Amino acid sequence: MTTKIQTGKLAAALAAMLCLGAAGVQAADYDIKEMTADVHKAMSNRAARYESVQKLKSTGALGENNRGYLEALNASASAGAAVADENADRKVIYQAIVKQNELPDSAMSQVEATFAEVQRDKSKAGDSIQLPTGQWTKK
Amino acid sequence: MKPIQVVALGLIALGLFGCTIKAVGDPNRPITINANVVVDVRGLKQTATSIEDQIASGKIK
Repeated sequence: MTTKIQTGKLAAALAAMLCLGAAGVQAADYDIKEMTADVHKAMSNRAARYESVQKLKSTGALGENNRGYLEALNASASAGAAVADENADRKVIYQAIVKQNELPDSAMSQVEATFAEVQRDKSKAGDSIQLPTGQWTKK
Repeated sequence: MKPIQVVALGLIALGLFGCTIKAVGDPNRPITINANVVVDVRGLKQTATSIEDQIASGKIK
């Protein structure tokens, strides 16, 4: 049996298939897919303390570290309490994203680093932020 | 498109997308496959921004 395959057409078809495959690779849609009671509580807690955290950040008592959490930069009691509560709520949210989007546990550090990047973006001028290199700076 | 071309394309597609992995071994020693999952940082950043916006505005969806 003679098989004549036009290599040009075959290559074009193969390229089209690869393009179709590539087109399937798009920005993944990670989200809080189910607003569980824990996640809702964590977000509501964070919203309720948002202003006080912003104030502490503006005084330099708190900063945003490069792992997606608040860090106390001086030894004040109010700053320490805010850090513990805020970071516990942040962790609930980060863990929900990992779990609900069926990401491996190892993705947690990536989720934390991405939130840290967003926190740096949203920080106001003069706030303390930790760069990905580990160095602290004023925005 | 000629039938032979269709068959060829089908075989290529099977090769690309239709792989079957058959594991043979001791059932008492399960095989561990470590998969590297790449997290799409772009999508993750959109989500993080949306969540932080909700918290800042106090409007939790």
